[in-house]
Amino acid sequence: MQKEVLINFDRCLGCRSCQLACAVAHSTAGNLFGAILNGEKPRTRIFVHQVGGQKAPLNCRHCEDAPCIDACIAGAMHRQEDGTVTNVGGEQQCTACWMCVMVCPYGVIRSDAAGTMALKCDRECRDEAGVPACVRACPTGALVYAGVDEYSGRRRVDVLARALQQVSGNF
Amino acid sequence: MRFVIAGNSAAGVAAVETLRRLGGRQNHITVVTDEPGETYSRCMLPDLLAGKKTEYSIRLRPPDFYRKLGVELLGGVAAVALQPGEKKLLLQDGRELAYDRLLVATGARPVLPEVPGAEARGVFTLRTLTDARLIASLAPRVSRAVIAGGGLVGLKTAYALKTAGLDGVTVVVTSPRLLIRQLDEEAAALVERELRSAGINFIYNARIKAFVTGSGGDLAGVELEDGRELPAGLAVVAKGVRPNDTLVGEAGGETGKGIVVDRYLRTTLENVYAAGDCIQVTDRVTAQKVSSALWTLAFEQGRYAAANMLGLARPYPAPLTRLNSARFGTVDVISVGRLEGPEVMARYDPLRFTYRRLVFDGERLAGFILAGKVDGAGVYTALVKSGRPAWTYRRQLLEGRAGSVALSNFLTFH
Ligand SMILES: Cc1cc2nc3c(=O)[nH]c(=O)nc-3n(C[C@H](O)[C@H](O)[C@H](O)COP(=O)(O)OP(=O)(O)OC[C@H]3O[C@@H](n4cnc5c(N)ncnc54)[C@H](O)[C@@H]3O)c2cc1C
Ligand code: SF4
Ligand code: SF4
Repeated sequence: MQKEVLINFDRCLGCRSCQLACAVAHSTAGNLFGAILNGEKPRTRIFVHQVGGQKAPLNCRHCEDAPCIDACIAGAMHRQEDGTVTNVGGEQQCTACWMCVMVCPYGVIRSDAAGTMALKCDRECRDEAGVPACVRACPTGALVYAGVDEYSGRRRVDVLARALQQVSGNF
Repeated sequence: MRFVIAGNSAAGVAAVETLRRLGGRQNHITVVTDEPGETYSRCMLPDLLAGKKTEYSIRLRPPDFYRKLGVELLGGVAAVALQPGEKKLLLQDGRELAYDRLLVATGARPVLPEVPGAEARGVFTLRTLTDARLIASLAPRVSRAVIAGGGLVGLKTAYALKTAGLDGVTVVVTSPRLLIRQLDEEAAALVERELRSAGINFIYNARIKAFVTGSGGDLAGVELEDGRELPAGLAVVAKGVRPNDTLVGEAGGETGKGIVVDRYLRTTLENVYAAGDCIQVTDRVTAQKVSSALWTLAFEQGRYAAANMLGLARPYPAPLTRLNSARFGTVDVISVGRLEGPEVMARYDPLRFTYRRLVFDGERLAGFILAGKVDGAGVYTALVKSGRPAWTYRRQLLEGRAGSVALSNFLTFH
């Protein structure tokens, strides 16, 4: 089974450890102090949102029929063998046209600091054990790297559905 | 099974990949294209003109793409007729291709103005790599260019020529402002300011009466209907495109604003499918029949058509036909869905230098524009697409705090 970063919404405390770990893992220096010393502005590719009283992280879902791949005019956005959807490491280069940004329903593609390329979860942050940086950093088990199974999927999103219902009243 | 695909661009490439991914290796696939050479990204031709990209870097797929997928590519030869009864596609060089299923992915061609001198040397359209090469080879030898058309292709071309170092670049626009079909006044003004500061000139409410040629038959200038004359050694006409639907039309298939297809992307001819700029689609929000004419749609239609050609019965959902993203200098713009509607709200966010405009139709977000910074735009697009109630989110959307909407999209789609 292909692995995904699964989100247990009931466990997130909003500490943003995942954001920091993601940004640092994708920095050239590879560690926080090095990145700061280099004057880098590490950018996260996972986003912790506030929904009413609830915090909730969200990152790329590596969609099956990924809209961002359809939209990419450069042919840069592609799917790797392990299912990872990414605009780096392929044959073509990202040209910063934001077509993918326009169609990603979760808003998890952002521009880099200089506005020269699109940044998204590329799983380039996995450690020797193959675990992504955000998952490794999460102290509560809100993020898990595993194969998906339907039943636990339902339970994981229930709390999010309730929180959204409170803020919007229309779910 | 024998699959033949006419067209080697977004729709054709997506179809080839999907036929192999879902159909395995046993089917025979032939791709025919009237353009020579490998598949490239048409949308990136302005970058080529600007000198920001090379022919190598605008390739859409690596050179060994067809060989690796075991696909036969017939390049530089046009398909000239279709015989649906015999299940044959006739090529310009006399060859006949037999098929079990045919995909017509022939795209669109630019509209040429019917004014005197339009065939003069130095008057171009920008649609193919050949066009781009011709323009790029003339550009260094002229000092002034006129672009006809204030749409996306016209403005991208103008910006590219300016970036390439052309001294005088003037855009002649029929409408009172630019991007009239993509943006509202405020967003268009942001784009105009950016382009003007790059040194591009605009003439509004103006039409071209004639292209004037000099001694050797080369373009010397452009005459406007109000009598003005603009000296120019190069002109690019960007007044929209027309679907290449004649193959199907002449064979007796139905056409309208492009080739008519059903929800499985089948034409009215048996065993003939169509996808991309050559087809007519029904807009998801306005329910109007329009030409497809967008890269994203061409690519997704190629994918759906291929699945249907394999017998997988995947109905293609009605698409959003306004779905534009463009960059002009530091201004990024994204425009999706309807431009006008019963309830419009707009705001400039000075902190993020971003203009946001929302169009509501009842509870539903029917369209939006983001100009400046566009991060998170897809969250809005998904609301327009799904049509689910969005009115309660209006404040967050207007302020660009779309986190909870992103999460609600997650619940809806995941
Ligand atoms: C300068 C420029 C910028 C653009 N920017 C954008 C943008 O930012 N966003 C966007 O969404 N869209 C953009 N577009 C539009 C986009 O390029 C098209 O929507 C897209 O290319 C359509 O793909 P397609 O596969 O349907 O057809 P096309 O790309 O038109 O390709 C048609 C193919 O069919 C072949 N063909 C045609 N007739 C025949 C025949 N009789 N026999 C054999 N082969 C034939 C051609 O050789 C070609 O391979 C832009 C277009 C241009 C020109
Ligand atoms: S970036 Fe967005 S659209 Fe692309 S695979 Fe990830 S979640 Fe899906
Ligand atoms: S921004 Fe980059 S990855 Fe996204 S669509 Fe454009 S070229 Fe492709």
